[in-house]
Amino acid sequence: MHKRRTFLQMLGYAVASLSMGAADTATAAPTATRAMRYLRPPGTGPEGQFLTQCIRCGQCGQICPNQAIRYFGLENGIYALDTPYIIPREQPCILCMQCGEVCPSGAIPRVAREAEEIMARVQMGKAVVDEQLCLSFQGKTCGVCYRACPLQNIAIKVGLLEQPAVLDGCVGCGLCERSCLQMPQAIRIFPPKQETAPV
Amino acid sequence: MEHPPSSAPAAFFFWRHLNLLRWLVLSLVFAMLILLPYVSLYQNYVAGHAYDLLTPHERQIYDAMEWITAPIAKSDPAKNLNAIKGNTWSGTLFGLALSDPLAVVGQIAAQMKIYWPFLLTALIPIGLTVLFGRFYCGWICPATFLYEINDTVRNALRRLGLLSSGKRWDLRLKYLVLAVGVGLSTVLGTVVFSAIYPPVIVGREIQYWITDNGMGVGLTFFLITLLFDLLVTRRGFCRYLCPGGALYSLLGRYRLFRIQRQVARCNDCTLCDKVCQFALQPMRDGFGQECNNCTACIAVCPTQALTFHVQLADQPYQGHGHLGAAYKRLQLHSAVKEELR
Repeated sequence: MHKRRTFLQMLGYAVASLSMGAADTATAAPTATRAMRYLRPPGTGPEGQFLTQCIRCGQCGQICPNQAIRYFGLENGIYALDTPYIIPREQPCILCMQCGEVCPSGAIPRVAREAEEIMARVQMGKAVVDEQLCLSFQGKTCGVCYRACPLQNIAIKVGLLEQPAVLDGCVGCGLCERSCLQMPQAIRIFPPKQETAPV
Repeated sequence: MEHPPSSAPAAFFFWRHLNLLRWLVLSLVFAMLILLPYVSLYQNYVAGHAYDLLTPHERQIYDAMEWITAPIAKSDPAKNLNAIKGNTWSGTLFGLALSDPLAVVGQIAAQMKIYWPFLLTALIPIGLTVLFGRFYCGWICPATFLYEINDTVRNALRRLGLLSSGKRWDLRLKYLVLAVGVGLSTVLGTVVFSAIYPPVIVGREIQYWITDNGMGVGLTFFLITLLFDLLVTRRGFCRYLCPGGALYSLLGRYRLFRIQRQVARCNDCTLCDKVCQFALQPMRDGFGQECNNCTACIAVCPTQALTFHVQLADQPYQGHGHLGAAYKRLQLHSAVKEELR
């Protein structure tokens, strides 16, 4: 997978440098890791693997009871066309795991709806608190993100003045981000850094 | 209308009505593609316990879907309606998971290994295609539903003298599209067919239109194929470019159920040649692996000369129909020759 994509990128760079007539190919080294700005449905593997498995049938979006799963047009490149994504600030994942049950092609694996299973196999991202924005860090006791979390004291804990601290158990469902009172939100889900498809 | 006695029996009466039945099936599949996204919305409303919060428009959807799905939903719509999901690319029909063989081929090419649970969902479609050939193209494909309407428009425009008869290329062009698609899927590591295969585009765009942010890129592509069919050549995408059609043609090459002409009943009227949207010329016994068993030619035949046969290969050209003028003239000629000798 990785080899194929690297090969293709090299091919692309070769063509680009030839057509531009630029000899400065040394600086044009492809960077494989870019930050993703969206979440994939729960349980999916690395982005490259997901793209080989997803057949774009749209069933995960049909079964999602929270209308959290949406589909890309061309805004994220041709690779991501018609693939499912979740923007938790709009609609978060409620970890019902039904998309995994309906997915025919194994792109979203089946994960039982149990805390241990979900914690072990779901890694949509990790919540990150922005202490500049967070009300609790400004002395206004809030704690909404903690109360929205389905894995309290496993994914997030609160200290003095309900100041949140994200723990290792966070699976990135985004219910905290959705519930944050601040605008813009003081807690965000960041997807894991990984190789993404070229746009 | 009386027909002269003939040695071949008339086609079984029901075959003439298959075309109507086919349109019923096509309409049903298309209706399901519109219905299922609404069912999905309804399930969301139910899951949210949100009837009081819905807008009047959403309440209409809720009420209509509650009424339509009552027999299946029973007491628990949020759960029981999950038995029907998806579209013709891949879906669940009352608990039975079915997938388009092209989706499976594309995915195997993309990830270079076989995911067995997915392959199994394509077995029933593959089996039916081996028996019935390209029947998917004529009986199920939601794009065919629109392409056939498009073809009716094309015929009307042609009668007005606004269109020429269309281009002809090699029908094997679509196998090239299939091969290139499989190759590209492997090189790029993604299922490229899902972006260029009209039935999945139609299903998905309807879903986007109802539950997501409106129709997208696929709509543009589909409109281009419609224009291509309308202006360039009759049913051009299905015949020359469709990778799914190519796959089904290959799978159905040695199909068992074939439409055949009974030469003893044929009167050379050419109605079947005209009605065949794939331009297969049933009157010259030219069915081949392209025939999608749409049965339009059976429905239109005035002498019931076309019927189903169970055999592995088509008959070679059988000559003029025995009820036609050309055949009678030939008979007369040979009779006269006999006399003179």
